[in-house]
Amino acid sequence: MRPQVRWTAVVAVVAGAMLLSTACTPGGGQPTGSAKETGQATVTDPAQMGNLTLTVWDGQTQGAEDGVMNALNAAFEKKYPNITINRVSRSFEDLRTALRLAVTDKTGPDVVQPNKGRPDMGAFVQAGLLRPLDKYAAAYGWDKRFPASILNWSRWSSDAKDWGKGSLYGVPQLDEVVGIYYNKATLDALGLEPPQTWEEFEAQLVKIKDAGKIPIQFGNVEQWPAIHEYGLIQSRYEPAETIRELGFGNKGADYQSDGNLKAATTLQDWATSGFFAPGYNGQTYDDSSRLYGQGNGVFFIGGTWLLTDFVKALGDNVGFMLPPPNQAGQPIVAPGGPDLCFSVTANSKNPDAAAAYIDFITNDDAMSQLATAGVLPINNLGSAAPSSGAGAQVRDALKAITDAGGMVPYLDYGTPTMYDTITVALQDLLAKRVTPEDFTARLQNDYANFTFTGVG
Amino acid sequence: MISQRQRIASYTILVLFAIVALYPIINIVVLSLTAPEGGGYVLSNYTAAWEIGRFSTYLRMSLLVSSFVVVCSLVLSSLAGYAFGCMRFRGVTALFYLCLIGIMVPMEAVALPLYFDLRSVGLTDTFWSVSLPQVAQISAFGTFWMRAYFLSSPPALREAARIDGANHWQILWRILIPVARPNLIALAVLGFMWSWNEFFIPLVMVTSESLRTAPLGLAFFQGKYTTAVGPLAAGAVIVALPVVVVYLALQRHFIRGIIEGAIKG
Amino acid sequence: MLKRRASRDVLTRQTFPGKPDKVAYLYLAPLFLVYSLFLLLPLLRLVWFALYDWNGLSSAKWVGLANFRDLFVEESQREPFLHAGILIFFFSVIPVTVGLVLAAIVSRSPLRALGFFRTVLFMPQVVAMVVVAAAWRSLYAPAGTINEFLRAVGLDTLTRPWLGDYNFALPAIGIIGTWVGTGLTFILFLGGIAKIPRELYEAARIDGAGPIREFFSVTLPSLRYELSVVLTLTVIAALRTFDVIYVTTRGGPGTSTVVPSFQVYRDAFQLGHVGAAAALAIGLTTLIFVLSFVITQIAERGRET
Repeated sequence: MRPQVRWTAVVAVVAGAMLLSTACTPGGGQPTGSAKETGQATVTDPAQMGNLTLTVWDGQTQGAEDGVMNALNAAFEKKYPNITINRVSRSFEDLRTALRLAVTDKTGPDVVQPNKGRPDMGAFVQAGLLRPLDKYAAAYGWDKRFPASILNWSRWSSDAKDWGKGSLYGVPQLDEVVGIYYNKATLDALGLEPPQTWEEFEAQLVKIKDAGKIPIQFGNVEQWPAIHEYGLIQSRYEPAETIRELGFGNKGADYQSDGNLKAATTLQDWATSGFFAPGYNGQTYDDSSRLYGQGNGVFFIGGTWLLTDFVKALGDNVGFMLPPPNQAGQPIVAPGGPDLCFSVTANSKNPDAAAAYIDFITNDDAMSQLATAGVLPINNLGSAAPSSGAGAQVRDALKAITDAGGMVPYLDYGTPTMYDTITVALQDLLAKRVTPEDFTARLQNDYANFTFTGVG
Repeated sequence: MISQRQRIASYTILVLFAIVALYPIINIVVLSLTAPEGGGYVLSNYTAAWEIGRFSTYLRMSLLVSSFVVVCSLVLSSLAGYAFGCMRFRGVTALFYLCLIGIMVPMEAVALPLYFDLRSVGLTDTFWSVSLPQVAQISAFGTFWMRAYFLSSPPALREAARIDGANHWQILWRILIPVARPNLIALAVLGFMWSWNEFFIPLVMVTSESLRTAPLGLAFFQGKYTTAVGPLAAGAVIVALPVVVVYLALQRHFIRGIIEGAIKG
Repeated sequence: MLKRRASRDVLTRQTFPGKPDKVAYLYLAPLFLVYSLFLLLPLLRLVWFALYDWNGLSSAKWVGLANFRDLFVEESQREPFLHAGILIFFFSVIPVTVGLVLAAIVSRSPLRALGFFRTVLFMPQVVAMVVVAAAWRSLYAPAGTINEFLRAVGLDTLTRPWLGDYNFALPAIGIIGTWVGTGLTFILFLGGIAKIPRELYEAARIDGAGPIREFFSVTLPSLRYELSVVLTLTVIAALRTFDVIYVTTRGGPGTSTVVPSFQVYRDAFQLGHVGAAAALAIGLTTLIFVLSFVITQIAERGRET
């Protein structure tokens, strides 16, 4: 009997000791990113940085973007043979999830492309995992290279409460806006012209459906494409200022406004009326864009990043337009902004080299290369851009909306949990599992919770 | 009295079963050999997967990890299994149940805190962070497996060796283990299979491309190239092939080992 | 299990009578060293994490038992278990039933090439779940084999985007599990039935029992042990599903295919709710333990009758 008791006592003591020894608060004592500013002068010449490898994680896997990234990397390595670029490119989805794990890694990547917005970039800034780039901006003259409104997309206060002002945490390369691609041949065959007003557009959807064709090619199995559809419709009914507040997660707006509700109702009606490709719920984004390239579907609501793929597949047959105005004189508004920016991780051992690399891939020469390839850089849009066809339309559209200051952020940026909330809610809305009222209520719940408490 | 009808019925069932079991696999193999534009059969999908999909790197890593895990698990399980099966010591019940926990615990429950704790000491994204958790779980199972085997070995054998002056170490490695070959092989094959197919641990523990294992390579490849059905199928075949080959080569040991092991365990 | 273990301990005592062997601890040490560091300790830490609200990046906040309360109260934490229950039906109940019935039928006549069939039928268990998921994803695609087959037999109205359908995505995933599990159950039951002494069947036949009576009075009771093993294995497989979900639906459409292990991943690494993830993981582990225990107990009790 007695030996038994002693044994259990030993076990209890050991277990207790283990528990106590592990009793440190998670996250407490965690070294947050050590992005301290050294007093030394910033080295800007990569040739002087010695032999090193830069690991770059980017999400530019689409068509021509991929090719240009590879070309730029090769050019960088050729110019600075002492630096090797280790490029890891992933799909948007995978990049998001893998980045969350990688950015805290002490031996993780140097240059990354975090998704803009509070769920990702904001959370990383708050945890001190991204390096402020102000001193590099000064050294390389980035504040002269890009307009302030563009750079502001990457400015955050160090506690990430304020977005749009503060230190610079990323540098953009590409520009994008979401609009409507249309298939000229199919429209002609149905005796239609590209719509000039929103009303005309909606009427055309009905006509196309009645003629037995697919009005809008679409694939939402990855859950995020629907954010573009909703955002596009929303920009017809809700003033840009409100959308900005919702998208940036600033106080003062309301998801349950009439405009948002009308947008939600419209989106659901489109789904119920069968305007989207059949089986869209189980179709991938890539499949839907491939099908569109094969002539399957009249319209495609998507961003300018699809331009090269569509032109390659449809040639002169494809056109691009910003969402047509709802009423006369409506200002030009559409979801968009600078594409994913390049940031430097706080844990990077080669911040100077990383900054030099970022400078290289965003300088004028790089921008021209991108424009020539048909991708849409932030600067030098005009150089070498095609003078006709969809390419020219996209370039003009970007110019127009940038001049008008009409880009509004994607809604999933607004709160740390909004990406998950809105993707799920949109799938429910499209499948008629939730009413438009409940949909907007769900989004409002998330938004209000964050803007009220400041915590996601 | 065996009716012919009964035999035909049984064979029919088996054949139907086999078709269902093989169809998805054969489908993938066919897809992997189909040319992109649908024109006949090619091997180019495999070269595409190998180079663009970086499967050569992933396979190498998987091989390293799985081999390490299997070897470690065999050793640890043999030692501990011997202790449980042939030695008398205090606390055998408690330690036995402790081992049992390891078999039932889902990897997600373990990987979650392990990730954060290893991260704070900078040990994530290392070979050890991927392989050691697997060694722990597979060895727990292996301990039961070897224990069952040792318990069923004739005590007379051990007694005779004892009388001849052999100590535990010699009994284990010179007498028991050599005879345990089928069980060890079955355990090794199982361990290899589980380790090769493990997804969650490498997903969470690994950031560098060079440490990624094959199943992860496939998942990420699929994310990037959803329309490249051919190379994706080729990648899938590449990932599944090693285990299937090992399985086919050793299947007799393997299945016998599973059936006996499941009964005894 | 208790009875058998006791007899085995008697066995060891008979083999090495006398004082306990301290050297045993040396043999156990390597295993328990790795095991404690990489399995036991994390489990303890899991409990600790569950008491905080932490986003995995910044500092954590103590919330006590709130995360555990949420397991019962929050829809997002409860729903995964409901889905897991449905998967248990597909991963476990169906394979066990089908495997049992088919094994009983096939066992009635001696057959050749049984080894070949065993190899083939066990194949689904050997292929990595990621590959299985990729293979089935292409079968379920809107233009995939399943829909094509339905169209070919004139059942056009039944075609749908399986993995994108709110009602059918989870059952579709369940069917993948059925496919993986049935081979295993079939083989294990075949092996179990082969062990049943012929005399029992003879006796039953003399009493005038037909095949169905034979099944219920001879086959089934003798398979109690195999049944509990198979049930345990398949139930645990159902509850640990992660790979398939990650590769096919990522929990969608909506949240209709979110299962506990996937929700743990989502909570911890996407939503920044590590505490909630930890509580969920504990809930999942507890459920596995409880179900394993219950299954074993039922098998034991059956044996004693």
